[in-house]
Amino acid sequence: MRIDEDSCIACGLCVPYCPMGAISMDGIATIDQDECVDCGVCLRSKICPVDAFIYEPAPWPRSLRAIFSNPIIEHKETRVTGRGTEEMKTNDVTGRFKRGWVGIGIELGRPGIGTRFRDVDKVAQAMARLGAKFEPKNPATLLMKDVGAGKLKEDVLDEKVLSAIVECTFPIEKIKAALIALKEVARDVDTVFSVDCISVVEPDGSLPMDKILSELEIPRYINGKTNVGLGRPLAEGGN
Amino acid sequence: MTHTLHRKGTADDLSADYVMLCLRAAGINDSGSDAKLQEFLRIAMHHDPENIGSVKMNMYSHRPEEVIADAHGIAHAVFDDSQKVTQVLRELKEADLGLSVVVSGILDPVNECCQKAGLKRHTVEFSLGIWGKTEKLPSNDILEITTMCGHAMVSAKLVESMVEDIKKGIKSPDDAAKELTSHCCCGVFNPARATKLLAAMAGLEINT
Repeated sequence: MRIDEDSCIACGLCVPYCPMGAISMDGIATIDQDECVDCGVCLRSKICPVDAFIYEPAPWPRSLRAIFSNPIIEHKETRVTGRGTEEMKTNDVTGRFKRGWVGIGIELGRPGIGTRFRDVDKVAQAMARLGAKFEPKNPATLLMKDVGAGKLKEDVLDEKVLSAIVECTFPIEKIKAALIALKEVARDVDTVFSVDCISVVEPDGSLPMDKILSELEIPRYINGKTNVGLGRPLAEGGN
Repeated sequence: MTHTLHRKGTADDLSADYVMLCLRAAGINDSGSDAKLQEFLRIAMHHDPENIGSVKMNMYSHRPEEVIADAHGIAHAVFDDSQKVTQVLRELKEADLGLSVVVSGILDPVNECCQKAGLKRHTVEFSLGIWGKTEKLPSNDILEITTMCGHAMVSAKLVESMVEDIKKGIKSPDDAAKELTSHCCCGVFNPARATKLLAAMAGLEINT
């Protein structure tokens, strides 16, 4: 995103709109291009009285900023908008997460801090060392040059985005080790990340992760997401 | 895309915040899915939602009929109580759209809604909260508002700016909440909840 210097009237109205705090006043409004993630909030807000914001699609690898940060853009490879993954939302149909397995979603940069892919790389490698099975239909996985090792392509590492999700599964017996490793790598990143875990509901209605989280003394929010099983065709082994 | 998970809040204010999502599984049940998403939104509109959204539009940036016409891939509706969620689930079961439906909210009441609607939960996703350099985060009261847009389209500084405007009498809490809501293009932001939170931050009381 850039601001047309000749059009800007230095009103400063746009400054608080930027989720990354990348707009500041230096005579006129200016955008720190290294911090800007091309999310488009400033442009869509129509806050600028003289329409001084200009967006032109950027070449690779900067193009990743808009793709990962602007929720209106559909990720070409996964055909999903937002952060580009369906995760458990369609699990009744895809069977992506099976009984006996647990999915982990690690959304680097969320909430509202942003992340460089360098930190995504660190977390993905930490999970890969424990045998994580990365979701193939996930935009962060598609940036890996070595999926087995969780290593991202070098030319993307310095790019900044609002958030990116490392999405993987583990057999339930390995999930404790994965969460402990995640606690350790949390000390090495220069951002925050929001963590979720996904499991199929047991036939008796119980949630298998509750006992494991309690043993690890990891609290969970009282709110979460529930797939109510209305999708068709039901995945094999579905409830 | 976990854009409705990780909403921060107390049990009290989250009890008036439920988001329903309806979506197709790309490459599996795409056929005719946009028309089914439109039907989902029409059903939602019969139950007084706080917000509805496609991906590019919400009820506060566009008229509801425009949002419904724009539905593609996924659609969202926000409700302020679990009884409405139960009723919408009942109607969705009857409509048998064949698309996946997800309810985001306090897990125990959502389970009760499913049971009352004759549905059995398939998969559950927990939020384990925020890890890493949490010292970079804004205060909790700001996060309770900004995390209602999981794509981070509502900035912490804009929330602060709205609170200042409310304190100065330039904006009402309701107008400030609507302004914030318009930036969450998916339509998962709950303006009624935001109104209460903004008023509290500005030191006002809201009569409900």
